[in-house]
Amino acid sequence: MTRQLTGSPAAPAAPAQTVPARQSRGRWSGRTRRDFFVFLALALPNLALIAVFTYLPLINNVYYSTLDWTLGSASATVVGIDNYINFFTSSDAPQVLGTTAMFTVVTVGGSMVLGLLVALALNSKVRGTTFARSAVFAPYVLSGVGVGLVWLFIFDPGYGVLSWLLRGIGQQSPQWINDPQLALVMVIIVYVWKNLGYCAVVYLAGLQSLPKDVMEAASLDGANGIRRFMSISVPLLSPTTFFLLITTMISSLQAFDLIRIMTPLGNGTSTLIYEAYLQAFGAYNRAGYSASISVVLFAILLIITVLQLRFVERKVHYS
Amino acid sequence: MAMNLDRRNFLGLAGLGVGAAALAACGGPSTGGSVASSGPSDVDFTGVKPAGSFDFWTSHPGQSQSVEQSIIDKFQAKFPDIKVNLVTAGANYEEIAQKFQTSQAAKSALPGLVVLSDVWWFRYYTNGNIIPLDGLIKQLDFKIDDFQKSLVADYQYANKQWALPYGRSTPLFYYNKDHFKAAGLPDRAPKTWQEFADWAPKLQASSGAKYAYIYPALAGYAGWTLQNNLWGWGGSWSNGWTFNCDSTESVAALQWAQDSIYKDKWAGVSSKSAADDFAAGITSTTISSTGDLLGVLKSAKFNVGVGYMPGGPKAETNVCPTGGAGLGIPSGVSKEVQLAAATFLKFMTEPENTAAFSAATGYMPTRLSADMTAVLAKTPQIKTAMDQLAVTKVQDNARVFLPGADQEMAKAAAKILTQQGDVKATMTDLKATLDSIYTKDVKPKLKS
Repeated sequence: MTRQLTGSPAAPAAPAQTVPARQSRGRWSGRTRRDFFVFLALALPNLALIAVFTYLPLINNVYYSTLDWTLGSASATVVGIDNYINFFTSSDAPQVLGTTAMFTVVTVGGSMVLGLLVALALNSKVRGTTFARSAVFAPYVLSGVGVGLVWLFIFDPGYGVLSWLLRGIGQQSPQWINDPQLALVMVIIVYVWKNLGYCAVVYLAGLQSLPKDVMEAASLDGANGIRRFMSISVPLLSPTTFFLLITTMISSLQAFDLIRIMTPLGNGTSTLIYEAYLQAFGAYNRAGYSASISVVLFAILLIITVLQLRFVERKVHYS
Repeated sequence: MAMNLDRRNFLGLAGLGVGAAALAACGGPSTGGSVASSGPSDVDFTGVKPAGSFDFWTSHPGQSQSVEQSIIDKFQAKFPDIKVNLVTAGANYEEIAQKFQTSQAAKSALPGLVVLSDVWWFRYYTNGNIIPLDGLIKQLDFKIDDFQKSLVADYQYANKQWALPYGRSTPLFYYNKDHFKAAGLPDRAPKTWQEFADWAPKLQASSGAKYAYIYPALAGYAGWTLQNNLWGWGGSWSNGWTFNCDSTESVAALQWAQDSIYKDKWAGVSSKSAADDFAAGITSTTISSTGDLLGVLKSAKFNVGVGYMPGGPKAETNVCPTGGAGLGIPSGVSKEVQLAAATFLKFMTEPENTAAFSAATGYMPTRLSADMTAVLAKTPQIKTAMDQLAVTKVQDNARVFLPGADQEMAKAAAKILTQQGDVKATMTDLKATLDSIYTKDVKPKLKS
């Protein structure tokens, strides 16, 4: 099992491309031209949509982050990087960044670890696994708003199901919604519950594609189940783990619906994206300041993704 | 077909980037000139004909969708040339404000008439988003003298009228009559919070409810309901544009509230809705909006009593704030649409329609001549809300005029009431925040 890297030392030297490339410029064959027009016809509509609905708002947002602009006002003042300075020097910044980090680490870690465990259980050959797979995956495709509302009823300290169960054993329900620390725990629990099905299904696909001959050889060599899992399954699942790490981390950093429904004030649960929402649309209408928080989130996502591609991928085993 | 990022491609991409940046700068707000704005001046509607249709954005306060539609149906029978499109623009005041502000930023799809709450209309005014109604009131002959004066006055600034009252409410003291009877208490609301503190242990001992009193959910306008406590103790969120929420009186009021939860242990804080908690029997008493009255009466399985808001050690009366929503007309639509909307606004606020709205929701009638006989025969508790209007006070500037102040007050209340935070330190921090919001977001936009 070696990582397939481009530019391997064993690879033969590539033939020089400079001269043919220069010669081909301006002298396309009919087929090349036809291919190019097909490419344009297929790619341009999508590129145009991405440009209008993704990159243009992104650029707009960077521009707005340099303004002192009240949402709804027709005028604004250019303030340069003041919004960024205000955010990083505000008392809210450590709390928002800390909440974001806590929420992301716990939800990504929780979803992946529990997802892997569930996938291992679903991978066993027992009756009812098809139903169990559907049941585990179902929360992932449910509306976040609906999930949030139902779980709010479960957690409600006054008349929630959890409160009722706790009363049954003589305990008082904690203040899940009013206590900022518990509110974060509550949202994390629901987020992990909703998303672990996604990790489980992807891990299950990874487990089912593992080479059986390697497992059988290890068994013949006397490796027990735990040894086979740790020494063969986990390394061979590393592309799956890497894929999940990137997608779940991006998804967690962008989590919004559950936080919005379960803790509308963001008291204890204000991650970067929710703080950006609160600042622009919640009550303050500070559109420029909110845009600067969004840019900070974008920068964090970009840095994390680049670091993951640059360093974490080195640990990945591509069979 | 591979593409190499050579110098030519790089320059091309850079050009695209610069073009996109220039494009971005073309959208959004204007960055030329001063940001100071104090709303548009009065509009001249001479010779203007009302538009054939317009959108009415509402959050259906007090579950009023059906009564709103029935009033619209009556309007269209009388004015067949003006079609009113009833649009659910949000589930609450915040959501409708969010949609309205977003439409302002996009400069499109604005309604002709919009529901605006007590904490939102002023920033619409400072942003120039709504028109003064004075000219329309005169031209369409609104009977403004027949409106509840204090409710009309809520929307006046710089000698102009910026909205008219619609779903107007006050907080009301709700109590479980059965619990009061079991505890041997008089069948009335307490006159002061001190009197209630004497009653609370008896209620707790006899009722079986978890709490004798539950503070409204902090996400549900804590700044509004705690206004009553502050005034009762002689404090306030602010006095004019001076933010004095850290005064000795204000701190004492909130310290008493904190003690009722942590020291005396007869009070709690609602997680979602105090009215729902009360109707479910979790608490013997609470305070909630008059707009919740019909919902509570419908869902509670016990006898519900309502009374005036209790006073405090410094003030026994005039400790109830007004609240709720009004109706305003956006500045970003045509004069024809504005005139059509004003025609409907006049109809919507006529005595028989405000009475119908009140009967369906529990909100207070906004017209003095509204015939409430039938409504009061069916729901006599509404009379208490109507009578309390005579002893209401306009809310402190800090809550209604400062963007985000209500959110900051709720955060401070959460710290005090759910985390047992130091009251003085929390209120000192809140004062600094309110000062900062005023200096940065409000003061530059006020007329000198």
